[in-house]
Amino acid sequence: MNAAEVFAIVPALILAGGAAVATILAIPRRIGPRILAWVGALAAVAVAGSALANGTGGASPSVARDGASVFFVALIGIVTAVSCVLAAADPRRIARSKDEPALALLSACGAVVVVLAVDLVVLFVGLALLTIPLYVLTSRTAPAGDEGAVRHFLLGTTGFAVALYGIALLYAATGETGYLGLGRATHNPLYLAGLGLTLAGLVSHVATAPGHRWSVVTNVAISGALLRLVAVTSTGEVGLDWQVSLASLAAVALALPGIASIAERRVRRIIGYATIAQLGFVAAATASGALPAAAFALAVYAAQALGLFAVIAILPQREPVLDDLAGLARRRPIVVLALGLLAVGLVGVPPTVGFLAKVYVLEAAVRADLLWLVVVAAGATVASAVGYGRLVLACFAAPRLDAIAPARMRVGTAVAVVIAIAVLAAGFVPGPLLDAAQAVHF
Amino acid sequence: MVVGVVLIPLLVAAACALPIGRFARVLAVFSGLLTAVSVAAAVWLGVGGGPVDLYYWAAPLGAQLAVGWDGWSAAMLLLSGVLFAAGAAASGAVARPRAYFALWSLLQMAVAGVFVSRDLLLFFASHEALLVPLALLLWGWGGADRRAVSCRLAVMWLTGSALLFTGILALGVGAHTFSFAALTGYRLAESSQVVLALLFLAAFAMRLPLFPFHAWLARAYIAAPAPMAVVLAGIISKTAVYAIARVCLPLFPRGMADLQPYLLALATVGALYGAILATRQRDTRMVIAYASLAELDLIAVGVFLATPGGLAGALIASVSHGLVVAILVLLATALARRIGSFGFGPGGLGARAPVLMALFVLAIVGLIGVPGTSGAPGQLAILAAAFAVSPGIGLLASLVPIVLAACGAFVLRAVFFGPAATRGHDVGWRERGLIVALVALALVVGVVPRSVSDLADRTAAALTELRR
Repeated sequence: MNAAEVFAIVPALILAGGAAVATILAIPRRIGPRILAWVGALAAVAVAGSALANGTGGASPSVARDGASVFFVALIGIVTAVSCVLAAADPRRIARSKDEPALALLSACGAVVVVLAVDLVVLFVGLALLTIPLYVLTSRTAPAGDEGAVRHFLLGTTGFAVALYGIALLYAATGETGYLGLGRATHNPLYLAGLGLTLAGLVSHVATAPGHRWSVVTNVAISGALLRLVAVTSTGEVGLDWQVSLASLAAVALALPGIASIAERRVRRIIGYATIAQLGFVAAATASGALPAAAFALAVYAAQALGLFAVIAILPQREPVLDDLAGLARRRPIVVLALGLLAVGLVGVPPTVGFLAKVYVLEAAVRADLLWLVVVAAGATVASAVGYGRLVLACFAAPRLDAIAPARMRVGTAVAVVIAIAVLAAGFVPGPLLDAAQAVHF
Repeated sequence: MVVGVVLIPLLVAAACALPIGRFARVLAVFSGLLTAVSVAAAVWLGVGGGPVDLYYWAAPLGAQLAVGWDGWSAAMLLLSGVLFAAGAAASGAVARPRAYFALWSLLQMAVAGVFVSRDLLLFFASHEALLVPLALLLWGWGGADRRAVSCRLAVMWLTGSALLFTGILALGVGAHTFSFAALTGYRLAESSQVVLALLFLAAFAMRLPLFPFHAWLARAYIAAPAPMAVVLAGIISKTAVYAIARVCLPLFPRGMADLQPYLLALATVGALYGAILATRQRDTRMVIAYASLAELDLIAVGVFLATPGGLAGALIASVSHGLVVAILVLLATALARRIGSFGFGPGGLGARAPVLMALFVLAIVGLIGVPGTSGAPGQLAILAAAFAVSPGIGLLASLVPIVLAACGAFVLRAVFFGPAATRGHDVGWRERGLIVALVALALVVGVVPRSVSDLADRTAAALTELRR
């Protein structure tokens, strides 16, 4: 291991150290989950800072140190920090376990490894580190008898197995595990099957992640890893295969959530659909070969998803439905205003940054001759407007008499408002974020 | 100056965040008047309208903050200033005034943005952003079935916008630019012109509304409170007229020429259909809605003809229709206040409310385009242009004012004539001030149509020049 590699994995080391500190601090009785979550946020901020300070350059066979790693590690750091802040502010007692910060930091450490990996074995190790703490987390916070955690675990391990099978096939086809070796491979059935299975294994982790705030880190990491894998391997004839499979994936991810959310009543599900549609834009940009557009859309997705999770954290119900939002406009007008702005951003209505992300991605799709995908995306926008519109409008209904009052959550509200303002402001002044996305290269 | 028309409403909207209470209304009226006066002054002096390329909004996307105005946009900006001021003045005792006027100013800003954009992405952004405050205003302050209406409106318009968006991306990416100035020099392959023109027209036809896309119209006019109806009918429909003339015609000359027969047929049928339906209504708001449909589709005939006469007529008729429909909506509200409903009432109101009757007669005369009123020059120009292109279209289109006249006469007779009413009072000074000011403006347009047509001729000539 040379110095460049050590420098490259400094963010992961910080997160692992943070997890260790959080575990030790959890032993004394006096230190509550709230303080631990703030420790986690501190570590995550340090990660974002170290990623930005780390810079680029210095090739190594297992981890990358380029523009993309700076962008994705910084994004993971920021997302983890915000999620930790939300965890610290979460008013539901069940969601506040003392293990949560340590597990989340371990998972974030896996996320950093995944986006840095330029070797299939490193990718797999990172994937395990990313997801296994989350299985523990879901089962720890789930009430007794909830089968959701088991389902998550089973589906997740299936995804693992598929990804591992794909990696094995890729090794069989090329004799190498490094991404560089993959890029040289030809149109070989074994190789294509390996790529397909790896893609399926990676993507299944996005699809099976339950709708809670830690899923944002997972989705960002998987998307980042996928981008890197595609960027390296989409050469020659394989490029077209990638384009077709990713474009189909994007079309499904764009169209289905919009339609499904029209009839959905569970708030978490609607938000889950919304985030999948956003990731559909990332997939569309990846299919079009526009890496900066994908990075931009991913950052926009992360911001909006975190904002939504901040908003629903004030609902006392474990599985809130639309009716539980009734009366929120009267009780928490500022939260509803933020939710409205986020919904407008999700639909991609100007002048929010969601609009720019949509334009950026779809321009790239037109350039890549994927006009049909643009039509699907534009149609899905209308369907999604109905779905997310219901979310906002439900807040204006008259509350039921037996309704439980929403929690008073200053920090969560502040996070939601700051993100909503950022979504609006970045629509007017997208320059800094665009510059950051432009710097993404592999 | 060009930036000012967008910034003034934005400042008012920002001011509504402060605890200013009902003072917000004064600010909103002021911002509308300021827009109108400053645009008028700038046009008069011939300054401040030039194209301004501010800077790249989002450089990798090719989105530019390019703004500017020509004769047509200047006329529309004037109209928008007047109507937004009138609408704000008419929203007397709204609930939650700060939220209302903040949304109101944002709507004004988006409308102004549509007229000054010189970049397709910026244009689309304004065109789309307009929907949010509009739907929210309808949702929050509308009448009986406001929720269903605002959802239907939003879904229909979003569908149109989605198609427009696809078209804009396909065009802009192909041409490597989104700026109007650069695009007018770009010659698109003839085969793709029709498809792109259809994609663009989908959004504008939905918003105008062109004949088969008017499903939202009548219910929206009924659900909208008077000030909203004023801007919805008066200026938001004109964004579609403007967009067809300013975007579709110069960018897709061949495509629009190929589609012309079908578009003319739709617009003519729509105009007649609207006029005939207007005669069948028993609700003043429905009469106004369908008469508006007739007028707007008649204006669309002028635009689709794409001759200098037709375009100039469309512009003058746009201004006239904006003013007249505002007067009619305000009068209908004043009438409803006396009768207690938007129906025609027991009749005979003329004896008790002569001023109201006089104003009503003036407005209806203006609507059907009796010479000397604002409706005349525009309508005559459109009809003359229609006859020049196709006598059949001209003949059918000239039936529209006749049917509207019959409708207007029927409404006047039902409301004002007959045995003298026992209750009801005439319009007060407060109501009168606003309506008389608008009537005076409409009369100015009617008596001195040159005030608008000068602007119109320049633009129309420029637009037809581009088609060559």
